[in-house]
Amino acid sequence: MRLRANAVGTSLIAIVLLALPWLLPAAKLNISLGTTVLLFALAASSVNILLGYTGLMAFGNAAFFGVGAYASALFAIHTVPSLLPAVAVGSIAGMLSAMLVGPFLIRRRGIYFSLLTIAFGQVYYFVAYRWNDMTGGEDGLTVQRPPLAAAKGVDDAQFYFFALAIFALFMVVLWYVLRSPFGLTLRAIGQNEVRARYLGIDTNRFVYFALTLSGLFAGTAGALYSMSINFAYPLLMDWHQSGDFVMMVVLGGTGTLWGPLVGATIYALGANVLSSATEAWQIAIGALFVACVLLFPRGLLGLGSRSGGAAPQSLAMEAGAEPVALAAQGYEPVAQRDLG
Amino acid sequence: MIERLAPEVVNGIVLGSFYAIVAIGLSLIMNLTGTINLAHGSFMTLAGYLAFAIMSRGGSFWVALGGAALLTMVVGVAVERLFIARLYKRIPLYSLLLTFGLSLIAEESFRLIWGPSSVPFAVPTNLQGSTALGNIVLPTYRLVIMGALVIVITALLLFLYRTRLGLRLRGAVQDPDMMAALGTNTRVLYTVNFAVGVLLAAIAGIFAAGLLGLQPTMGNSLLMPAFITVVIGGMGSLIGSIVGGLLIGLTVSITTLYLPAASEIVMYVLMAVVLLVRPRGLFGEAGIFG
Repeated sequence: MRLRANAVGTSLIAIVLLALPWLLPAAKLNISLGTTVLLFALAASSVNILLGYTGLMAFGNAAFFGVGAYASALFAIHTVPSLLPAVAVGSIAGMLSAMLVGPFLIRRRGIYFSLLTIAFGQVYYFVAYRWNDMTGGEDGLTVQRPPLAAAKGVDDAQFYFFALAIFALFMVVLWYVLRSPFGLTLRAIGQNEVRARYLGIDTNRFVYFALTLSGLFAGTAGALYSMSINFAYPLLMDWHQSGDFVMMVVLGGTGTLWGPLVGATIYALGANVLSSATEAWQIAIGALFVACVLLFPRGLLGLGSRSGGAAPQSLAMEAGAEPVALAAQGYEPVAQRDLG
Repeated sequence: MIERLAPEVVNGIVLGSFYAIVAIGLSLIMNLTGTINLAHGSFMTLAGYLAFAIMSRGGSFWVALGGAALLTMVVGVAVERLFIARLYKRIPLYSLLLTFGLSLIAEESFRLIWGPSSVPFAVPTNLQGSTALGNIVLPTYRLVIMGALVIVITALLLFLYRTRLGLRLRGAVQDPDMMAALGTNTRVLYTVNFAVGVLLAAIAGIFAAGLLGLQPTMGNSLLMPAFITVVIGGMGSLIGSIVGGLLIGLTVSITTLYLPAASEIVMYVLMAVVLLVRPRGLFGEAGIFG
């Protein structure tokens, strides 16, 4: 039954996404909004890999996203102006940027991990901000969207389908990865890392792989994003952007395959409608975050089902914290001492 | 040489004291409740603006300092009671996101009320100018800040290590359930702790407003160095925050003198080096994850 429900849901999502280029103009919205939703969803999925499945509170994924954005823009400007190689370069750059900071991050958990992801994310931000000759500094980097093949340009609608194809590919990959032994290992770490360790799993190594995969997803999203808006700028890497991605995951439902897409849709639509309606749209977005956290912490997709990836509590599972004992107390101590 | 270096050293110590005091506030809140308070910078900015408002209505700098710090603390207590306290039973991610949302609201509100550019936050004339120590000339306001922050940190340490409430706070960091079982109202303790953290942020924010200029993003620009301070000093250690803050402040200001372009990135390099040598931070305690 569950499988059939998932299949129906996925088909529905696929139909809506395919019809979006006709639906959006009907609603007097720009097709690029659809592209933004897809790319934010992909970036949010990169957070979801860490947060929803591996139980890591990552708060720095915008850095990998931004590295992907800059890498594809720089590639398109300085070498062959061709779309696919540029995006590929951005993907790989995003992955490498995660692999580079990975060794610093993998030994920590809980809020210490969050702090480190914020801090190391800012490293990339400041490099982009200060390396004027390469990145254009604060002004950012303007890039002409390169053609897909031959010298034919790609218009916004065509780019939407290009982004959709890559998004679909990555979601299929993610679906398979999550069902593979590797994905199950990640979920095991997310649910109870100590137990996973006792089973002989080198959890730090798997956290590193999860980070690498996350960097690949974020980098790809970023690469496509700079190609979509013809622009790469430092604020893409700022921790505020990371926070937005995390929020999208939570809005949609952590640890669900389509949660990030749902969250990204709400976020992008909300920002679009609000920013044209009022100057102070940041206040509304902030209020949305606060309301979501207080009122429906499981996210929209988490409302109906109790299962679906790692349950939110599992994120708190620090060493030695027994889930049963915690439930009995009705309170979860933060176990700071165990964090070191 | 020394004439050129000395102001930078003082500058570094002042900057470092700011980082330390903000980091201590963050640490207090983090250690007891696991909340990474992303709104910490907003409290600093709020205090700055409140002080500005008091001064523009004729209050003196010191009245503004006291009044704005207390008002900010009241706001802090309200925020803790109304929002953050609801999330203590949940995983830290939610309080992180909540304070993130609050900081977005705060920053935009400051922009709406006081405008996007910096407001003229004037320190009193007797604090302006410079003071000569031997043949080294130093800005008076920086010396005042240094003195004030030393007093604040000393007062905090006395509070934590020489009062009953401080003892209970430290006990609750180690084992909140045991503290509750022994008859301490830990809910009140959490609020007091949050209020102390916000008070530190507020004091730092008001002094910083006179030094860095007061604009909506002021607090957030000090927040990131404070995070790095916590990481370098080691999570859970107040001494670590003080040493880490001073270390970063000195490194940043001396780098500014010799290699201005690297002044922001240098603290991240410092962080990476410290983490490579000592993954738990300088004064952090060892846990099972390193």
